Amino acid sequence: MEAPPVSVLPITGGTISMMEYLLQGSVLDQALESLLHRLRGLCDNMEPETFADHELVYLLKGQQGNPFLLRARRSLSHPTVPWHLRYLGQPEVGDKSRHALVRNCVDVAASHSLPDFLNEMGFRMDHEFVAKGHIFRKGVLKVVVSKLSRILVPENTENTEPLSLSYLVELSVLVPAGQDTMSEDMRSFAEQLKPLVHLEKIDPKRHM
Amino acid sequence: MQQREEKLLEASVESLISRVAHLKNALHSFIYKLENEYERLTWPSVLDNFALLSGQLNTINKLLRNEKTPSFRQQVIIPLLLSPDRDEELAKLTEQRVPVFSHEIVPDHLRTKPDPEVEEQEKQLSAEAARIGPEVAQKQIQTLNKLCSNLLEKLNNPRDDRDAESAAIRQNKPSFNTADTNALVAAVGFGKGLSKCRPPGPVAPGHPGQGPMMSGGPTLQQVTIGGGSGQQQGMGPGAPQQQGQPGKMPSNIKTNIKAASSMHPYNR
Repeated sequence: MEAPPVSVLPITGGTISMMEYLLQGSVLDQALESLLHRLRGLCDNMEPETFADHELVYLLKGQQGNPFLLRARRSLSHPTVPWHLRYLGQPEVGDKSRHALVRNCVDVAASHSLPDFLNEMGFRMDHEFVAKGHIFRKGVLKVVVSKLSRILVPENTENTEPLSLSYLVELSVLVPAGQDTMSEDMRSFAEQLKPLVHLEKIDPKRHM
Repeated sequence: MQQREEKLLEASVESLISRVAHLKNALHSFIYKLENEYERLTWPSVLDNFALLSGQLNTINKLLRNEKTPSFRQQVIIPLLLSPDRDEELAKLTEQRVPVFSHEIVPDHLRTKPDPEVEEQEKQLSAEAARIGPEVAQKQIQTLNKLCSNLLEKLNNPRDDRDAESAAIRQNKPSFNTADTNALVAAVGFGKGLSKCRPPGPVAPGHPGQGPMMSGGPTLQQVTIGGGSGQQQGMGPGAPQQQGQPGKMPSNIKTNIKAASSMHPYNR
């Protein structure tokens, strides 16, 4: 069950369909400090921002094959900030030469009754995790270095264990549908982070 | 002969004065910069200033070492007249820094021996040097020389050697693990390793259909109660307490669920 194309939905000033370009990599815990130093030098000069988020992934099982996935994210460090609901489409299988993973992306903010609402709509929470880390910005590029943790007791975000000994590094850009100029910029930025991290286009389906 | 020497002395003193004046100006501007423009000062410009000072000190040293310069050590300066009155000439010459040529300024300006504290320190150092004996001293000198020559060698050698060494060291410590990357991407992408249906996990209610205490459960039951017409209102509050009540109630509820799901209003 795919999301209906955005042109069909009534546009009452809501979201515009954006494409997300994504490159992912990871860095071991011991190399984290050097990566943060390098990012602080390469990225825009701003106060280093840390974040702690709790993400819940909701699934709606359709009659046909693919379930419909929505991601709901809330901040653990700012509990009163609205929730962030995101839909990510399938990666576009286009240009093999394109260096980044491209997929459709719809983002909305939601109130704190989001989990109940999704449950009422028929979504079921498939999994949840806690992500804590740092976020950097360079122009429109966004670099997120985060530690993913598994939640051991449901609903209890204090009781977590790290998923692995590495931090996930993601380089992403959101552009309106149609523009295709970002992948070169992303690739040159990724070059600057080698050999600390290898940011590449990783197809999640391959690791199913 | 004496005239020539005198002339030489005068000339060298003149050039020394001019060099020292340059040095003083450079120091003055540097201090001004440090005190007033420290927000805009960059490290390269500070280095430039230090380089300038060092260059000027070097020229002074070269001047003093020049063979044509007579040895200043052999000259003696004797104050001929000390007066507590203000001397305008002197004040003009020294830019108002020494207005009076009196008894107070003579010990400072005409000093030939080092300060008393410095003299003390020098005495201590020479006593220490005498104490350790000539062989130990010689050995220390040799070690110092060896260290210096090693350092000079390392600094003077071509950079490729150093780069190869550091590259080898860096390769031994990889900073990322591909397996970890894949695991993390899979976890973020579709929850591999995070899903609730983990067998070793605790009795984690979350999978609809298991156990009575799940978050989805009561909602489901309430929806079916609403969807299936004619159910008692008591079922609502009664449903969460079902584990305390044995027998008939649990089975009733299961039946209700089955009946209601066929006419569930939402298509799933």
